[in-house]
Amino acid sequence: MIPLPIVDGTPRGSDRKLWRSRPHLEQDPNLTEQIPEELIPGAADAPSGNNRRHFMQLLGASMAMAGLAACRRPVEKIMPFSDRPEELIPGVPLHYASAMNFRGIARPLLVKSHDGRPVKIEGNPDHPNASGSSGVFEQASLLQLYDPDRSKHILRTGALSSWDDFLSLCQRFQIGNRRLAVLAAPDHSPTRARLQAQLENQFPDTQWIDYRSEGDDAETLGLQMAYGLPLQPTYDFGNADVIVSLDADFLGSHAKNGNWNTASFAQGRKLNGVQDEMSRLYVAESTYTTTGTMADHRRRMRSDAITTLASQIATALGVYSGTSPDTYASAIASDLQQSNGRSIIVAGESQPAEVHALCAVMNHALGAVGTTVTLSDTGAPVKTSQSEALAALVSEMQSGQIDMLLMLGVNPVYDAPPELDFQGAMRRVINTIHVGMYVDETAQTSTWHIPQTHYLESWGDGRSWDGTLTPIQPLIAPLYEDARSDIEILHALNGGQHAKGYDLVRETWASSLGEDDFEAAWRRILHDGYLRDTGYPAITAVPAFGGSLPEPKSGLELVTRLDPTLFDGSFANNAWCQELPDPITKIVWDNVVVLSPKTANDLGLVCEYSKGRYYSDIVTLAVNGQEVELPIWILPGHADDSVSVTLGYGREISTTRSERDTPFWDKDDETDIYARGTLATGVGTNVAKLRNALIQPVSHGVQLTATGQKARIVTTQDHGILDTEARPLVRSATLEEYRADPAFPLQEEAPTPSSGVKTDFSDYPELWKNQHPAKSPALRDSDYWQNQWGMVIDLNACTGCNACIVACQAENNIQVVGKKEVGNGRELHWLRIDRYFVTEGGEDLETDPQIVMQPMPCQHCENAPCESVCPVAATVHSPDGTNQMIYNRCIGTRYCANNCPYKVRRYNFYNWSKTIPATVQMAQNPNVSVRFRGVMEKCSFCVQRIRETQKRAGLEKRPLHRDEVTTACQQACSAEAITFGDLNDEESGVSRAVQNSRGYRLLAYLNIKPRVSYLARVRNPNQELEPAKSS
Amino acid sequence: MPQIFSRKSNVLPHLSLGALLGSGILMVFLVWYYFSPEYTDVGYAPEQPVPYSHRVHVDQLGLDCRYCHNFVEIADVSNVPATETCMNCHAVVLPQSTDLAPVRASWANDSSIPWVRIHQLPDYAQFSHAAHVTNGVGCETCHGRIDQMDVVRLVEPLSMGWCLECHREPEKYMRPNEEITTMGYVHSAGFLKTNLNRIAQEGIRPPTNCSACHY
Repeated sequence: MIPLPIVDGTPRGSDRKLWRSRPHLEQDPNLTEQIPEELIPGAADAPSGNNRRHFMQLLGASMAMAGLAACRRPVEKIMPFSDRPEELIPGVPLHYASAMNFRGIARPLLVKSHDGRPVKIEGNPDHPNASGSSGVFEQASLLQLYDPDRSKHILRTGALSSWDDFLSLCQRFQIGNRRLAVLAAPDHSPTRARLQAQLENQFPDTQWIDYRSEGDDAETLGLQMAYGLPLQPTYDFGNADVIVSLDADFLGSHAKNGNWNTASFAQGRKLNGVQDEMSRLYVAESTYTTTGTMADHRRRMRSDAITTLASQIATALGVYSGTSPDTYASAIASDLQQSNGRSIIVAGESQPAEVHALCAVMNHALGAVGTTVTLSDTGAPVKTSQSEALAALVSEMQSGQIDMLLMLGVNPVYDAPPELDFQGAMRRVINTIHVGMYVDETAQTSTWHIPQTHYLESWGDGRSWDGTLTPIQPLIAPLYEDARSDIEILHALNGGQHAKGYDLVRETWASSLGEDDFEAAWRRILHDGYLRDTGYPAITAVPAFGGSLPEPKSGLELVTRLDPTLFDGSFANNAWCQELPDPITKIVWDNVVVLSPKTANDLGLVCEYSKGRYYSDIVTLAVNGQEVELPIWILPGHADDSVSVTLGYGREISTTRSERDTPFWDKDDETDIYARGTLATGVGTNVAKLRNALIQPVSHGVQLTATGQKARIVTTQDHGILDTEARPLVRSATLEEYRADPAFPLQEEAPTPSSGVKTDFSDYPELWKNQHPAKSPALRDSDYWQNQWGMVIDLNACTGCNACIVACQAENNIQVVGKKEVGNGRELHWLRIDRYFVTEGGEDLETDPQIVMQPMPCQHCENAPCESVCPVAATVHSPDGTNQMIYNRCIGTRYCANNCPYKVRRYNFYNWSKTIPATVQMAQNPNVSVRFRGVMEKCSFCVQRIRETQKRAGLEKRPLHRDEVTTACQQACSAEAITFGDLNDEESGVSRAVQNSRGYRLLAYLNIKPRVSYLARVRNPNQELEPAKSS
Repeated sequence: MPQIFSRKSNVLPHLSLGALLGSGILMVFLVWYYFSPEYTDVGYAPEQPVPYSHRVHVDQLGLDCRYCHNFVEIADVSNVPATETCMNCHAVVLPQSTDLAPVRASWANDSSIPWVRIHQLPDYAQFSHAAHVTNGVGCETCHGRIDQMDVVRLVEPLSMGWCLECHREPEKYMRPNEEITTMGYVHSAGFLKTNLNRIAQEGIRPPTNCSACHY
């Protein structure tokens, strides 16, 4: 028996309260009883159903097993090439530079191909506008390629047609003065621009609209208002001392330049010592966003009231005469003025163009332009508002003036405002051609549908945010013969002839590079993934803003945003995106109306918590003459009198795949997420139609009425819940406190006898005495012993953007389990991001919590509690200090998960991997075992990457280079919040990070010696707004 | 009432107990033997789409293994040659042979020859040919006397226990790198000492921990 120490004294930070959800804050017994448990209630229950069915299931299973013993292993075929392509060596992966068009911007990528299959996407580390990191959507786009519900055939009024038929349509179209209209997804591709010019030459009356489902590009229109030109701002957050965000989620996964912003923002937040400076972030926003979680001063306010704040700041700065500033605004203004141009004010997509224009004026007045803000001239002509152009086009369509409507990668039937009656207008056009990856809402109502190629299947080009010309290189031939790329279709329309995308792209580049030595230059560009020195020129100009800001209105407002996991719905059929928890609400597979506790209370709406499940009131949301039914979600930190919804749900995608129907003893049809039609269909509700004809993100006059019904909401916010009462899981301090005591995280350790911090554990009984496995000769006598892997996660840099989760999922063959099973706590994500609300004593607990994100992979304890309880030694320690999971040994007792203090182990309750479609199987990483039912799994520190690198080093007869091994999560992280490497090498990145005084280990007092450590969060509040505590 | 069972039958319970015990032990041995890869897998010699004879090509013609399996030293998998490799010679040699018809068809149609896999490790075991053949493990050590086979068959069980025999005592099996592809290699006298020297010099320490192969 171990005598337990008597606790005396209070550790630092004990007035800080850490909670995950309202039941957690209120200590709901339903939730608190989950804390010591391994899983949420119901996770380990047997499948529901009557007894007979169970019996038959067991009977079926045992018969299958008896049958297995009599079977030989299935015959496997080896299919070598007939004529092997040069450089393609079986089993050796190749990497190609490519890019993905995201919101018109090419995001530079480096894609790994294994035996001809693209299997992993990373950022292109050499590209001037990328750092080798990538975001949620780049990672998830891999699964998009293999989506079994992708459109496969050219359709004409729903019936099979062919490319030749389409070409003959194009040829017939050449004759006469035809009127063509094009709705195209934004793209800065030079080849597309060239073909567009040709097309406009051929058909002079062509109407070309860059269609954005989220509506007008307020930022560009605002800058145009201020400068007279559609300039593009690039923010250097790393060099800014003061950053003000007016409803701008610039760190969000869906931000146009999100990766770059995150990287540069993190540069300004990292503290390697007390001498380091740190930026201060003010955020005013209506709903909680990833950017809001990083704020030093966050003010929740209605989106339409943010114009008032902008006006106040501008008035205080003397560039606008508006409302006189309040305390918050004047504190911001004086902070901005003191920063000597090292400041940034950025407005968000929900703000009107006027606010953007005013921000440009303020940035200029503060001297930020040229210091932290770079304006570049993209060479784009003066933009007209999309909403006006679209309305004009629809009226022309109505009056029968348009002969052909081409829709390139857009879905207006789904997301155009119903006021326009786009679908009705389409019927008045003889030829409506939809080009898209799915037979979606628009495809189903178009006369023609042409499957669009994925960017990994077709040639293309684009420009990264800074303007650098970036080629898009395919890694695989189109999976479906009929699929065509945008440029091939534009070319066909312009003459009725077929041309290969490759030739079209080369033609563009040849004309700009010149014929001399083109081949060498072209090869160089494809190798590097960009063309040097082709960025947009930076310009200086004087902005002016003569207009006035719109006044905020009263009454409930509705803010429509892009979804952080589904974007505008184009990722809705992507299983990884659907199962990715929303960064803030942690809701999966659903959309909700988010509102503040006070607003919910005022409206009499509740979200009930019962037996570990959330049941929300379903409300009718009526605005702009439309109404939808949606469940609510109460989010602390959301602005009052404002409700938020996200786009991308309620899709209707048709598929030709047949439904899975298995015999009654087989549960495959219930557990297969692909069993019943397309994934996106029936998930959530389409809120795009709530917007008015101008597609404004903010709507007024919203009616919210309870329907009396309730819906089960599946959120992972309480999954893997740890005891936050006595355990300082997230540690934080203000910059001042940090400077006074750089090692403050250690002061937050649980108190120990005679106070002070316990670092010496020699008085604890030694579990293994001298037989500790790590000390055994068997482990020491191995080459692996030389490297001891460890990880450091910087909570000051992590924005909780989720990119690491998808990267991990792609790298490690993590299966998707679907809404029902996530609800049962059976999700398989190896890495979860724990989102904590933080409130400090004295505040109103419900209104203004801060948020801290804590990524939680396996901690790879040196004294791992999981290892000592496994009866079959399926989880053991490796000589290089990782806790390894040996799937083939695992018999599924789940003792390990039960004993894991971090709850990071995941169990395969069903045979998820068995039912994945053939195309999705192609996305699996061949270097990682695909797990079977009844097997435990967890983060492996990407052991396959460690072993592959070691093997390569061995073949090259050299030691490992410093920091040569990267984990998938680390590689994806734009903020570089994750450092991984060899703790034995004193110069490695991780060894240096471990020395950081902000470092602490979770639950270190258990003496389990986790190999993952965290760097505590530091806030940089303004003294004027938050005086330092007297203590 | 006369006794139904004779006195002799008293021995029956003992006998049946013994038989039960015996059959239990027999079961253990039967499973041990018949369920092992040694019994189930060794000797597997399926018919191939082309009656390719290693004996002819290696023993009689003297081709080196790496003429066809040319990436064995740099890749995890030892590649089965592309049809192109066959056609290097067979475009000229035996151009009319009926046995070679599938090869010519593959070359003409740019299709694969569906070879049947013989040496098949479970998917959860990661194995690298390159790591082995560059560190003194000969082809013959795992694949046997391929040069004597008209039809390739599995000669070793490829079980984990069998792998570990060598991983624990590599000096017993290693050969000089120049002799990697030699068939019928005979260890020179004092090879144990030579190998131990090499192991010390080159730092060859085959891992025996789980995550070396299973991940």
